Amino acid sequence: MPRHVPENSPQDTGSAGARTGSDPSEAQQVLPDQVTMGLLPYLNAHALDEDYAVAAERRTRNGASRGRPGVGLMGALAIGVFAVLAVTAAVQTSQDSVSEERERLALIKQVKERTERLNARRDLQDELRAGNDRLEAALLQNAENSTGLIDQIGLLRLRSGTSPVRGRGVEVVADDAPNAESDRNKVLDTDLQQLVNGLWQAGAEAISINGQRLTALSAIRHAGEAITVNYRSLSRPYTVLAIGDPNTLPARFADTTSGQRWLDLQRDVGLRFAMRTKTDLRLPAGPVPELRYANQDDEEGQGSGGQ
Amino acid sequence: MIAVFGLVIGVALGFVLQPDVPIGLEPYLPIAVVAALDAVFGAMRAFLDGTFDDKVFVVSFISNVLIAALIVFLGDKLGVGAQLSTGVIVVLGIRIFANVAAIRRHIFHA
Repeated sequence: MPRHVPENSPQDTGSAGARTGSDPSEAQQVLPDQVTMGLLPYLNAHALDEDYAVAAERRTRNGASRGRPGVGLMGALAIGVFAVLAVTAAVQTSQDSVSEERERLALIKQVKERTERLNARRDLQDELRAGNDRLEAALLQNAENSTGLIDQIGLLRLRSGTSPVRGRGVEVVADDAPNAESDRNKVLDTDLQQLVNGLWQAGAEAISINGQRLTALSAIRHAGEAITVNYRSLSRPYTVLAIGDPNTLPARFADTTSGQRWLDLQRDVGLRFAMRTKTDLRLPAGPVPELRYANQDDEEGQGSGGQ
Repeated sequence: MIAVFGLVIGVALGFVLQPDVPIGLEPYLPIAVVAALDAVFGAMRAFLDGTFDDKVFVVSFISNVLIAALIVFLGDKLGVGAQLSTGVIVVLGIRIFANVAAIRRHIFHA
């Protein structure tokens, strides 16, 4: 501001200019409104285009008719254009929202369709797999000298956990300590691993945890809050079914290090553990793991194993 | 009354023809409409003030629409299209409010 009024009293230039605006010597120091007013008051004060005032002044100077000037053809045309613009914008907006909604519905429909197709394909996959098993069995049955093979496959399946089994054995129920607060008094994946290893050691022939049969490739581990077996999460209490000699299993289990450890866990941390003998246990088949890397070694193949 | 006539004809034309806005111009249409609205309210105030001028109205109308669209276009090119649109809307909004207030004073003498 001082740059514009270098010499006299820069502080009250605005008010002085306003007071003495008619004085031609001081009029030069009157700053334009853009400078003295804030942006918003200026906008408010100059809402009307100044051209109207200029045009009106010119008209009066030229001595034209003082009557109210009306809207001419051009003005009407401009108003018409404005109306077309406004209506077009409104129509466009409403159409856009309608088409967006339509697109959304179409997408939802597509997702549903694809999901259905995926499910159908999965069913087909299961069907084909079952068919493969049937055909394999039929092929082996027809082949010469194949009864031994079938028996061996059956046995291998029993052992590897890929076919359901039944027999005598024990039922172990393990659970967190009552009012368990921390992981310290909860059953952890390592505890279950110990338990299962102990049972194998004690002579169990097949084991399942909460209905998940253990195969050679089953993993027992923590995923988030839950323990997973065969990638299925389990919830407590954990019921471990083990097929084996019910007369010797409990005693032999108690002799293993795992059995000792579980005794400690019961005593120190308060985990619950109960083992009961059962005369008839049924264990489901485990998932058939897909072997991607392991190939059969023909040189080591013995007897009827090689093809 | 030729103004009302023009307005009615325009609305009717817009509804009947429903012109398709080219995709490239679509983002500039709303801001152009707001700018046009400002010009129309300004004209209405000038009319009530008795200073209305047909030529001034047409020129201000066209320049308002073009400049508003141009600012948004430039903003889009510079990557500040949304912010510039907001600025334009604020300024035009303030002008519209001020002009409508003046019109209100004219009509209701309050």
